[in-house]
Amino acid sequence: MTAKDVLDLMKKNLGGPWNENTYRDVFHAGDANVKVKGIATTFMATLDLLQRAHAAGLNMVIPHETTFWNDRDETKDLTGDPVYKFKTEYCAKNNMVVLRLHDHAHSHRPDFIMVGLVRALGWSNSENTPPPRIFKFPATTLGDLAAEIKRRTNSRALRVVGDPKAKVSTATVGMGYSMGRFTPEVDVVIGGENPETGGALDATEYAVDAEFLGKNKGQIILGHEISEEPGMEDAAEWLRTFIKGIPVQFIRAGEPFWSPKAG
Amino acid sequence: MQISRREFTQLTGTAMLIAGPLTAQRTPLTAQQVVDRIQANAGVPWQSGTLDAVKAGDPAIPVTGIATTGMATMDVLSRAVKERSNLVITLEPVFFGRLDGQTPPAVSSAPGRGGPAGVNPDDPVYVAKKDFIQKNGLVVFRFTDHWRLRKPDPFAMGLAQAMAWTKYRVGDDPLRYDIPPITIGALADNLASRLKARAGIRVVGNPESRVHRIAMLPGLTTLAAAVKALPDSDLVLAGETREWESVEYAQDTVASGQKKGLIMLGRVLSQDPGMNVCADWLKKLVPEVPVLWLPAGDPYWRPA
Repeated sequence: MTAKDVLDLMKKNLGGPWNENTYRDVFHAGDANVKVKGIATTFMATLDLLQRAHAAGLNMVIPHETTFWNDRDETKDLTGDPVYKFKTEYCAKNNMVVLRLHDHAHSHRPDFIMVGLVRALGWSNSENTPPPRIFKFPATTLGDLAAEIKRRTNSRALRVVGDPKAKVSTATVGMGYSMGRFTPEVDVVIGGENPETGGALDATEYAVDAEFLGKNKGQIILGHEISEEPGMEDAAEWLRTFIKGIPVQFIRAGEPFWSPKAG
Repeated sequence: MQISRREFTQLTGTAMLIAGPLTAQRTPLTAQQVVDRIQANAGVPWQSGTLDAVKAGDPAIPVTGIATTGMATMDVLSRAVKERSNLVITLEPVFFGRLDGQTPPAVSSAPGRGGPAGVNPDDPVYVAKKDFIQKNGLVVFRFTDHWRLRKPDPFAMGLAQAMAWTKYRVGDDPLRYDIPPITIGALADNLASRLKARAGIRVVGNPESRVHRIAMLPGLTTLAAAVKALPDSDLVLAGETREWESVEYAQDTVASGQKKGLIMLGRVLSQDPGMNVCADWLKKLVPEVPVLWLPAGDPYWRPA
């Protein structure tokens, strides 16, 4: 089976239309005609992830995010970069091939990524709840909620804004580069990553000021990887339903950062 | 003893008539006059249609003092009131977004994107902040697009001052500093301590790797800037990045065997010292009133 065959099977088994104009869900490194020994799904095709997949005997990597550090994996300005050379040569030398699964991970019903995120947060509501997907839970404090999410996700670098003692019982969550939006019904907004300021409604400054004014609002920033990686395990399960005879594994790219102690 | 203005004029007599600067001091300096002075002296031609404008308050009020800040949070505004600084000059928005409290143009009806673009005019946090500004006679001026264009880069200069690195600057490049070799772990601790960080600092790289050549890219750090800077330095000191851009690039640099790193301070924490540079500039430009820097601080914390 070639990597191209895997892509064809994915198109056939998506259960919905495949957008042939996608610039994301295409091959970003390696040769599509390479014979596939095994598949790794993951959040991002980092060099470290490629090295671990290779060590596990898996030469096809299916990440949710980028390979060459920008959404289009545009490489024309990168060809002289030493890390770009290292990564492309590593793929070539080891017959590694990278096929991104982003748009169709979200368009699959249910959305693999939202299913994984809701599970990671320990919530049971269906991802089919219509936007803005407000989750209700027994009243707790922002501090306890954040501590519980940190424990469940094994995060080292999650960030929280607002009064730890604020009483909260509703939240909304965004995947990846998105943040839930504050409304009167929403106590806590959660998301992967977001611009700190200058957006439509800056949750960080809002939560800082809400704390000053004694209002029960909070923001929890999970990190892009923490928010979207779990769903790639669901993508692996889906692949296993129609890819037979070769191993399909979910391998975590892992949280990219650590954080020093407070100053 | 209190002396009325009329008595003061009588006491000083004709001397007042020729003392130009003294006479000028008695005319109250308005917020608008300070803004005019900033526009004329920004060092770059003043453009219309930028984000730089009075966002709240009456520009005709007399200024008792000026406070600069990275972000005009409620906490910063209340400290400004205590310091009698009624003109607040902020780098980032005061009303939680690009629109800075203006009524949003339209409500999107796209599925999943419901709701107005900016803050709702009835929002209780917005209303309380607006009332606080009005009640305390504050004027909030946003100064970002022009201050950003200033040379040399005031944000890198401010960060270097905050870290006591100015003496390590490489030539005339305000973005490059060759500091005494230090592990990434110790450097992250130093940054946290000097910048009074809580949980906002995040690091890519081995804490044991020793670094020496620092490239500063405070604020919003683009991939293009990081790809340009990291090959010729050991560590990029960034503000805010995107995880699929500079973060992945730094991860891959490390995985390729290089002992390098990336430290993200957060947008506001990385830029606030640049508003201390702004305060120093304003002290000379507006000598009539006290000028203070009131940093917004690190907004983030983390549970144990």
